[in-house]
Amino acid sequence: MPLVLTLASRNLFHDRVRFVATLVGIIFSVTLVTGQLGLFLGFERMVTAMIDRAHADLWIAPVDTKSFEATALLDGHERFQALPIDGVREVIPVIIGFTYWRKPNDGSLTPVLLIGVQLGSGGLQPWNVVEGNPDDLSTPDAVAIDQSYFERLGIARIGEYGEIAGQKARVAVVTKGIRSFTTTPFVFAALDRARSYMKAPPSSATYFLVRLAPGTNVEAVRSQLAADLSAADVLTSDEFRRRSRSFWLFGTGAGAALFGSALLGVVVGTVIVAQTLYSSTKDHLIEFATLRAMGSSRGYIYTVILCQAVLSALIGFSIAALVGVGLAKASAETALPVVVTPVLILGLLVLTVGMCAVSAISAIVVVTRVDPVTVFAR
Amino acid sequence: MTEPVIEAVDVVKFLGHGPGRVEALRGVSLSLTGGELTLLMGPSGSGKTTLLSILGCILSPSSGTVRILGRSTAGALPEELAQLRREHVGFIFQSYHLFPTLTAVENVRLALDVCGNRSSLAAVKAHAALATVGLGAKTKAFPRELSSGEQQRVAIARAIVGKASAILADEPTAALDSANGQAIMSLLSEIAKDPSRAVLVVTHDPRILPFANRILRIEDGRLIGEERCAGSALTTPQPDARE
Repeated sequence: MPLVLTLASRNLFHDRVRFVATLVGIIFSVTLVTGQLGLFLGFERMVTAMIDRAHADLWIAPVDTKSFEATALLDGHERFQALPIDGVREVIPVIIGFTYWRKPNDGSLTPVLLIGVQLGSGGLQPWNVVEGNPDDLSTPDAVAIDQSYFERLGIARIGEYGEIAGQKARVAVVTKGIRSFTTTPFVFAALDRARSYMKAPPSSATYFLVRLAPGTNVEAVRSQLAADLSAADVLTSDEFRRRSRSFWLFGTGAGAALFGSALLGVVVGTVIVAQTLYSSTKDHLIEFATLRAMGSSRGYIYTVILCQAVLSALIGFSIAALVGVGLAKASAETALPVVVTPVLILGLLVLTVGMCAVSAISAIVVVTRVDPVTVFAR
Repeated sequence: MTEPVIEAVDVVKFLGHGPGRVEALRGVSLSLTGGELTLLMGPSGSGKTTLLSILGCILSPSSGTVRILGRSTAGALPEELAQLRREHVGFIFQSYHLFPTLTAVENVRLALDVCGNRSSLAAVKAHAALATVGLGAKTKAFPRELSSGEQQRVAIARAIVGKASAILADEPTAALDSANGQAIMSLLSEIAKDPSRAVLVVTHDPRILPFANRILRIEDGRLIGEERCAGSALTTPQPDARE
């Protein structure tokens, strides 16, 4: 091991209390940041889950649609305007609407977001099905709900009935992990049944998913659709994802709150690490003065301090990363899943090392002022 | 005549600012040549440590000239002075200033490490330097595991490992008992026999006078006397007396 690293690590481990305080600061900070950014990623996935699963090249949506959970309706002529355009292979309707679910156990009402899908179209369908089959939605009164909402909807098992808008709704399909960012349960139904529950006109839809033939120029089709459909927005899936994220995560302030907390974590971590590195450097000042008297360059001394900072970062990060992964596992089935991805882990590593390097600045400033002549004073 | 290792000509040094400003050195001239152990003696506040700091390139003179192996330090930037120190000067301090978290051999290697010498040969040199000062068996000991005399020997090994031309020692025996003080001075006088090395020892301690080849006396920032001596009273390193 290089001697400069030996010196840095021994200085670091020499005062165990201070070292533990440094690690606690880093772990607290990184865990907080992991939690907040993990929640952000979890929310982001929730917000765009329906868009991701729809596999559409283009979305025809009501004007100024902010997110997937829009409730305005298109009258249906859009589908017939889109179908003749060159390259358009399919135009699949989806209807969305907030309505109420009457619980079978106590008769109380709870709001739900109803999603009417065209079965067998290859468009949006319930996924992660754990009981039943998506095709079962074609049977009378059939709906699909997520098992995580059983209690909210007063359902104990598949086959039980609830009621939507005074009509029967039988749980025929059960999914796992299709959760809503708004916490309002999703209920999937066949397109016509959903229209019936919502009392919507027969050809109406909230969205038309446009699928193109392979090799079609998406932008060209979009431009033509946009020109033809002045009363609708035509969006690519990426644009729709951005709109949804922007609305839920930033328009509502949820994202800002998460990022604010993450930033707070970084600031607290930086201050704690800076404070401990500063006091450690002050305690070792005579050693740094001795190094200087021996003719070491300033760069050599800065390297010692930076090595201390980076070592602290790596050790603290390793522990915090394990805590973060544990947090992600523990929260996977909850309403607030913390999503930890390899990219997030890598980003947090860079952030932690950067945070500790910035923390070293105060210590470096102290050392910059050290006068080697002080070695004669003691 | 050989070139002086360090040469100071008419060195003046002011310390402090404003009303508290003092003239610590008032026109000091001297030269240190290889193969000599020179003692610099004088009362407290006479300017000994200031002169040592200037000769060791830690401080710059207010006026006058200092040359290290013929190279003037005038106008040198702090990093250039640091380079001169690491290439040509080895310091020995009253309080040893060893790194408590490093072993004896690591403390010695550090002097090579700051010079950029990080090869496996550096460890060999560090072991050899410790063997030279009689600590070949304690290379892995931490400073807290060594007696004061042994710690000072490690400091000497650190000063000599890089083949510095000038060894500057500030009260190296002040914290030691008589036996250890004699042993340390024996080591320094052995080192001073190397014609490429000059050893300057700042001291109050009259017991070490017999080791000197030359004694310089300083008072009120001026050199007031110089004596030539036989030197080398004890030439064999004495066994360490643990305190």
